[in-house]
Amino acid sequence: MTLNFINPVYLWGFLGLSLPLLIHLLTRRQQTRIRFSAVHLLEQAQKRSVRRSQPNKLLLLLLRCLALACLCLALANPLFSFADQNALLPSQPTSTVLILDDSYSMRAGGGESSLFQQARETLAALVTSAPSNQHFSLVLAADPPRALSGWNDDREQLAKTLRASQASFQTTGIGQAFETAVDLLADAPSTQKRILLLTDLDENGWRADEFPSMEGQGASVRILDFSGQQASPNQAAVESVQVSQEFLTHSRMIRVRYRVKNLQAGRALNGLTASLWIDGKQQAQETLALGPGASLEKEFTFPHLGKDRLNGYVKLAADGLLEDNRRFFTYQPDQRLRILLVDGDPRGVSHQNEIFYIERAMNPFSRSVSDIEPVVSTPAELPNRDLSRFSALVLCNVRTLPFGYEEQIERFVSQGGALLVTLGDQVDVKAYNEKLGGLLPVTLRTLNQVNETETPFRLKAATEGHPALSVFSGKMLAEMEHVRIHSFFSVEAKPDRSFLVPMQLTNEAPLLVESDFGKGKVLLYTTSIDRDWNNFPIQPMFLPWVQRWVKYMSQSLDTITRRDLNVLEAIELGEIDGDWWVESPDGQVSRIAPQEDGVPVFSESRIPGVYALFTTPAQAGSEDNKANPAGLKLPPNAHPAGGFTVNVDTRESIPDKIGEAAVHDILRGAPVEISRQTETLQTVKTDGGFSMVMPFLLAMAVMMCAEGWLVRKE
Amino acid sequence: MAETTLQGYDPEVLARIAALKIHASRLVEGILSGQHKSPHKGSSVEFAEYKDYTPGDDIRHIDWKVVAKTDKYHVKQFEQSTNLKCHILLDASGSMAYRSPLKKSTAMAKDEYAKTLVAALSYLLLRQYDAAGLITFNDRLVDHIPPRSKPSHLQPILYSLSRTEFTGETQIRRTVEELIEILPRRGMVVVVSDLLTRDDNVLKTLNLVSSKGLEVILFHILHPDEVEFPFEGDIVFESLEDDPPVGLDPHDIRKQYQKLIQELIEHYWQHCPSMGIDYQFMQTDAPLDQALRYFLLRRRSLLKK
Repeated sequence: MTLNFINPVYLWGFLGLSLPLLIHLLTRRQQTRIRFSAVHLLEQAQKRSVRRSQPNKLLLLLLRCLALACLCLALANPLFSFADQNALLPSQPTSTVLILDDSYSMRAGGGESSLFQQARETLAALVTSAPSNQHFSLVLAADPPRALSGWNDDREQLAKTLRASQASFQTTGIGQAFETAVDLLADAPSTQKRILLLTDLDENGWRADEFPSMEGQGASVRILDFSGQQASPNQAAVESVQVSQEFLTHSRMIRVRYRVKNLQAGRALNGLTASLWIDGKQQAQETLALGPGASLEKEFTFPHLGKDRLNGYVKLAADGLLEDNRRFFTYQPDQRLRILLVDGDPRGVSHQNEIFYIERAMNPFSRSVSDIEPVVSTPAELPNRDLSRFSALVLCNVRTLPFGYEEQIERFVSQGGALLVTLGDQVDVKAYNEKLGGLLPVTLRTLNQVNETETPFRLKAATEGHPALSVFSGKMLAEMEHVRIHSFFSVEAKPDRSFLVPMQLTNEAPLLVESDFGKGKVLLYTTSIDRDWNNFPIQPMFLPWVQRWVKYMSQSLDTITRRDLNVLEAIELGEIDGDWWVESPDGQVSRIAPQEDGVPVFSESRIPGVYALFTTPAQAGSEDNKANPAGLKLPPNAHPAGGFTVNVDTRESIPDKIGEAAVHDILRGAPVEISRQTETLQTVKTDGGFSMVMPFLLAMAVMMCAEGWLVRKE
Repeated sequence: MAETTLQGYDPEVLARIAALKIHASRLVEGILSGQHKSPHKGSSVEFAEYKDYTPGDDIRHIDWKVVAKTDKYHVKQFEQSTNLKCHILLDASGSMAYRSPLKKSTAMAKDEYAKTLVAALSYLLLRQYDAAGLITFNDRLVDHIPPRSKPSHLQPILYSLSRTEFTGETQIRRTVEELIEILPRRGMVVVVSDLLTRDDNVLKTLNLVSSKGLEVILFHILHPDEVEFPFEGDIVFESLEDDPPVGLDPHDIRKQYQKLIQELIEHYWQHCPSMGIDYQFMQTDAPLDQALRYFLLRRRSLLKK
């Protein structure tokens, strides 16, 4: 049990106790002596009398002193704790590295009763009350760890630093924090070395390969486990949110797909409420039921005709850890789908071009909700194209890609872009299988051809419930049977890849292969997209077929917008002729100047939420902003350029705790002592102990009342 | 006669005696003025002493033989045959010496009051040709002047009073036990005391006297301070007798003390009549003639018996 004071300077007020003593002495009546006759009667009267004047005066003095003492104690803001904090420190001079776990799992409990607050106040009280032969250094253990102070002897400053610190939204990196602590202990002023870790023992933070060897470090380790202080368990987390749009009808449908995980292995979650919030308003809500430890994918769908960016989040009902109950997203609905068509077989006559039919099918001079804007390119021009400005890339009978370009395509698709590969006589199968092997779920094998006289291959008219084909029925479906295919490439499935075959020939050979890659889609059309190998382009249904597949695969246009980052994860913003500006969810503005070597990178995303991007022309940043980077304001000519979301890494949400044996194993070589903060802190207002301000104030009030009563009685 | 000589050489004692005498005579004369002359005048023929003739003296009492021998006129004085022998017992314990420390107090000191009372009683007795004797006591017999009825007997009484020092404890019982054998079968015993003693058997002791056939008058004298206990502040009360000092705030016990002192007075007031004792409580701020009138009243009723 310890009693610590937040403002110990007020304890000097105890000198004020001399005041009532002085008053008592000064006002004490002079004792006179009288020779009296009936002293024996006085004795009898005194025995009978209940009142005792002298004790009353002493009692008054005592009460006044106690009232003053209580006032001083209350002003000193005492914290009472059942935990013996001095026991955390040895008596001999010791250098202690204080490792405070400030990962977001320590936010459990919320507000002033969070685990972090408790740990922080415990440390602050410890530092304040520690004897002068103790030296401290402070490391925050969120990944990446930060050493907040070296061997600082200024306790007050260290306590202030501690109290000013806040829990982060990062994951735990205990191993790296130990690495930092070991480095600090190398310069420790005392021979006795210790590491004091305050954590919730979240298993996520204990990756054995990140820990330094504790052999021969000469440091003992004391761990205070605060996980027992968590009032309610972390039940569920939103693991991911993906937003897509559909143009399958005349209105645009926004589809918000999210995955929720029940973090409790032994308990089902029934009636868990999930809600969708768009621009601060609740858009939809549903109730989920999850089995023990199960994940569930659900989606919210709603029509959206506007052009504005959608900023929102999916939110779960509150549980023990609020930070993982909300996952942000931002989405820029497409108005124009820009498709980059790469013509691998250009001819002098336009209608003989490989892309002739598909280009016209995409842009038939008719309007719908979404316009498709095909942009034609040659393979040689590809490196000069900025893929991020396109929704989809269509490689039409391209012989081979420019050197190394497949990596750009992979990055483009993984970030949400779409790739349609159509084949033809120009295709170098070997090059395709080598370069696009990562993207395509199948391997190209042989070319299957029939002569003009032979029976061509036919298209199997079946939609099989695919969303892109679901509108084809009846007459249109019957027309599909008129498609004659003379040549196509057979493919062979790769064993570790999953894919769909939405369309196939009557001989069961795949005509269209669909697969997911990252956040994007990859489609392989095993025949040509012009009339060289089939007559499909001249069929009436070719146009809607192209339109639907392009819309289907082009889920989103703005690839940057679809980026979903973890806290503090760096984002490459792309090279522009000007500055990038980032506005964080709390309104702070950062300016990312062009880099001479490499692309501009933003890595200061410390809080979850939607970060807005702006661009300004070169030299647009005002001199004021340059002079005062902390208080930057967006320049008036800043142009919105999308945004990205930052969310917490849900690995930290997993409530599994590392066992003592595992801790001893990881830290073998160092004496380790683990103690749990098991005291119930239900009534704790100020963390690290029970605030004694009110009790002392009440005691003072009682003293004053008693004093008044006694004076009145006198 | 040696005492007479001594008193003549001690001016302080003389002054005290004179003051006592003047005070006593003034009191008594005031009370007796207008009353009938003593019925006992000249009833005795026993020569007592000579005195210088002064105009107004009865010329029948001039001793002509002496005139012939000395050529000076002397008047024969005869001792009256005494109807009453009165022993006055004065409590000379330390408690009687209480003097109020309060400036506002106007009451007489208890010892002065008692001395004046005794002197006045003696003068009154002697003036009426009764025999008056004085016994002073504390825890023992301090002084004993046997009763005489000659007028000049007032001198030794006053002398004794003037020399009395109030010290020691009050032990009425021991005094009475010493005196009981020498007290006459008839007569009067006047006890003047503050009765502030731890002895609870004062009344029993006085009852011994009363049961012997003597008329007992008990003058209970207290200073107003002893009744009202008007002190304030932190006070250590030191005993005038042998009690240990007591430190207290009088405010705390005033009511208890007043109750105790009233119980004491009440005790004597209730039980004295049943034992044939006349009890008279007097505060020293009360006029002394009140006590004298009471005494006269009692004496007359006694003579009628």
